[in-house]
Amino acid sequence: MVNKEEVLEVLKGVNDPEIGINIVDLGLVYNISIDEKTIEVTMTLTTPGCPMHSTITQWAENVLHYLAPEMEIKINLVWEPAWTPDRMSDEARQQLKNF
Amino acid sequence: MIQQTLTTAYSPPLKLVGKYFIAGIISYFLLCLILLINNDSIIGFHFQPKVLAITHIATLGWITMIIFGAMFQLVPVVLHVKIFSERLAEINFWIFAAGITGLVYGFWHFNTGTFLTTFAIILNVAFFLFAANIILSMRKMKEWNFTATHIAAALFYLIITAIAGLLLAINLGHPFIKISHLQYLNLHAHTAFIGWVLMIIMGVVYNLIPMFSLSHGYSITPGKYSFAAINVGLLGINAVMHSPELNIMFYIFSIIIALGIILFIYQVYLIIQKRMRKKLDIGLKHTVVSFAILAVVTVLGIILTITNASEIPNLTLVYGFLILFGFISILIIGQMYKIVPFLVWYHRFGSRVGKEKVPMLRDLYNENIGMYGFYLMIISIPAIAVFTLFNIKILLLIFYSVLFLSALTFCFNMYKIFMRKN
Repeated sequence: MVNKEEVLEVLKGVNDPEIGINIVDLGLVYNISIDEKTIEVTMTLTTPGCPMHSTITQWAENVLHYLAPEMEIKINLVWEPAWTPDRMSDEARQQLKNF
Repeated sequence: MIQQTLTTAYSPPLKLVGKYFIAGIISYFLLCLILLINNDSIIGFHFQPKVLAITHIATLGWITMIIFGAMFQLVPVVLHVKIFSERLAEINFWIFAAGITGLVYGFWHFNTGTFLTTFAIILNVAFFLFAANIILSMRKMKEWNFTATHIAAALFYLIITAIAGLLLAINLGHPFIKISHLQYLNLHAHTAFIGWVLMIIMGVVYNLIPMFSLSHGYSITPGKYSFAAINVGLLGINAVMHSPELNIMFYIFSIIIALGIILFIYQVYLIIQKRMRKKLDIGLKHTVVSFAILAVVTVLGIILTITNASEIPNLTLVYGFLILFGFISILIIGQMYKIVPFLVWYHRFGSRVGKEKVPMLRDLYNENIGMYGFYLMIISIPAIAVFTLFNIKILLLIFYSVLFLSALTFCFNMYKIFMRKN
């Protein structure tokens, strides 16, 4: 069975195509829960109504599907609590300064 | 598996929005080319056939065409509703394109009377259909928001502008308007610019700039006062227009509008100041310059309204040129560098994410060429304004060529984005 670290590592491959920073470092992933059959990721996006909405969640789902083809993948997109820049990693903060 | 999310289901097809965008881009190319070829005629009094024709290529073929396309793409995103009828939007495109072509031809050859009136009616049909399509989409909104308020107000002014335009077209063939034709034209132009274009821009940039620059935690109070002031002022000047004895009220309402625009610029400044992405990319660079020019034209507009400055030769032309090119065109080009790559990426690469390597948005165009275009544009526009004022023909030829060159860079990049398939 996969663990949370592996899931996080794979989700780091999902980038916001506009700014080029992955969703984990941006602080968009709120929670990961794994049981025998399901990987459930609760995440948000930087802006409600972000037009990348479905693409980013679909991307996350695709990479997790490759990681664990036998498991069911659930992506919950939530807007509460709203994302704030405080949730970003130092690395993402640094990268943003250069973009 | 996750459900197909709402935004995907709501997004109109690339073919629909792309059609409006490509027609708008072609109009911009033709606009800059026609200006270059006719640069020696764009001088003197603003009410002349070629200037009227060129102005409508800019306002309808370029600016409104892009706004229509952008609205069909953005309404689902910012208002969270599906477009009422994509089929109607498709038909609307052809009616609008036919109307513009006829109206511009009519102005160029000053074919007033039935010809011009017919195409003004066709354009009115296009505007009413567009407004109806968006209003019927908005009826399905679950939660009203600030952007929706701007869009609703903008649609109201679009209709006022369209009807005023039709009356002006009829008046050219069969004079019936009691106040001066030029005064009425002034109202038509300002309702179009402030009520329709600026109001839409306001609603949209409050969404797009924070989204693109990751801005958080700013106040939107100036934006609210700005909206109120601009509407009070605009309704005011429309109301007192027919009563020349209320001239003082006209001045007061004009100043209220100007204060509203300054508050809008301040609101945009607050948003940009709070951005997380520190470096200004190509889109935001255009945006910042366009707002600086908006501040200049607002002051110029007030000077023209309350003094006799409009008697200065060519100053009204310069004012119009700075609005259409300095503010609106620079802003649109900046936003197109953000919206078009997204649109194409979303439709061509969105389904491939996580399965194969996909490009970043900025990989879809050549940013260096885009930046050259930006510099050529911000050099040529103030230069054309100054040399139009002093009527220096040889320098006008040179700088209209520079402007055309900048348009070529923009068209090249847009072509590159639309053609990108892998």
